[in-house]
Amino acid sequence: MASLLVFVYGIYASYFHTDTYGQNSNEKIKALPLQDLIRNGSPFQGKVSAPITVIDFSDFQCYLCNRFVKNTEPLVNQSYIQTGKVALVFNHLPNRGFDSMGAALAAQCTNDQGKFWQFHNLLYSNQKAIDSGWVSKENLKNFASRIPGLDIKRFDGCFDSEKYKSFVQKNIELALSFGFKETPSFIVENSNGSSQETMSGALPFESFKAVIDKKISAGCYHN
Amino acid sequence: MSERKKTTLPPSSSSKGQNPLILSFQIVFSKLVYIVFAASIAIAFSIISTIFDQLLFFYPILVFYLPSDAVVGFILANIIAVLLGIVVSMNVYVFRHSKIKIRNTSLLSASSLSVLSSICVSCSSLGFFLISVLGTVGVTVSAFVSNYQTPLRLLSIALLIWAYYSVSNKLTKSCVKSYPNSSK
Repeated sequence: MASLLVFVYGIYASYFHTDTYGQNSNEKIKALPLQDLIRNGSPFQGKVSAPITVIDFSDFQCYLCNRFVKNTEPLVNQSYIQTGKVALVFNHLPNRGFDSMGAALAAQCTNDQGKFWQFHNLLYSNQKAIDSGWVSKENLKNFASRIPGLDIKRFDGCFDSEKYKSFVQKNIELALSFGFKETPSFIVENSNGSSQETMSGALPFESFKAVIDKKISAGCYHN
Repeated sequence: MSERKKTTLPPSSSSKGQNPLILSFQIVFSKLVYIVFAASIAIAFSIISTIFDQLLFFYPILVFYLPSDAVVGFILANIIAVLLGIVVSMNVYVFRHSKIKIRNTSLLSASSLSVLSSICVSCSSLGFFLISVLGTVGVTVSAFVSNYQTPLRLLSIALLIWAYYSVSNKLTKSCVKSYPNSSK
């Protein structure tokens, strides 16, 4: 029984690993300051001056990401984003199916017009089975047409030309460089890019609260 | 004509008229060791399912949570865990008290199916892994197992019920094994 539990914990640890970067000088840190993430075009919500940044690596076809969006994100938003303590940045990690890349490209195109989060919420609230066609090119355009104020011609031009393919590819490379294999995965860091902590899985609010409160109480962020 | 050798399990099915499914359960679980064994398997499997269903986390704090979208999966996984504990214990009982070799393939397929469906709840990680190992077929398999998680669990339950029925028959009915005629 004990060996079984050790075995299970081994699998668990390899799947749902967590790491802290930037606290040991020997570790390689890939600094991801909030300002740089915003400048590079990553969608975000919250104040630019927020001392802590949560970077979310997700896939629109991933139902565990949907679980995070429905159950955890509203609480993080209410407690930390609205209060100006945390900025939430979205990075794409389309790895669940063949249609995931298209969804990521479309979402990034809506970010051009400041409509990313509406599109994000629309996709997650209409999520269906992986690769069932619900995020086919045609359906993605239909979803986009349902967003008030979105310039559809501009969106279609962006989406059809796969304008953000290399951007999404860079997001994937970034995720892999942190060892993220699953979605959703998160980096919680000080907004200057220091003291990074990684977490994987559709974690409940309590888990985020523990990490964020620890960083706030440590007060080790420098903007 | 072939010679026949009869092998009967210890507490035989002498109590006629009783439902063999209940009788076999009573035979095995009248002993504390089998109750403990079944409970251990059920608890272990339940914990494994809970971890892979992403309902139990150890880091950054130990937390269990059950969002509404996970309730059905959680209930099915626990039914599987209990059935698995019972069926495995009964098979061990048969194995220890009989010279007949167990070939309970339904038990194997049910437990592997249920483990697979549990793991693939969180198998988003398999995306890149399966592409690199199995190519596009891997992603298709991963998506299939994720999409059909609930039917797969229901299938597991059906297989485990079949396994229970099968092991009950072994326990409560006389087992006759044929041997080829040596003089042939």
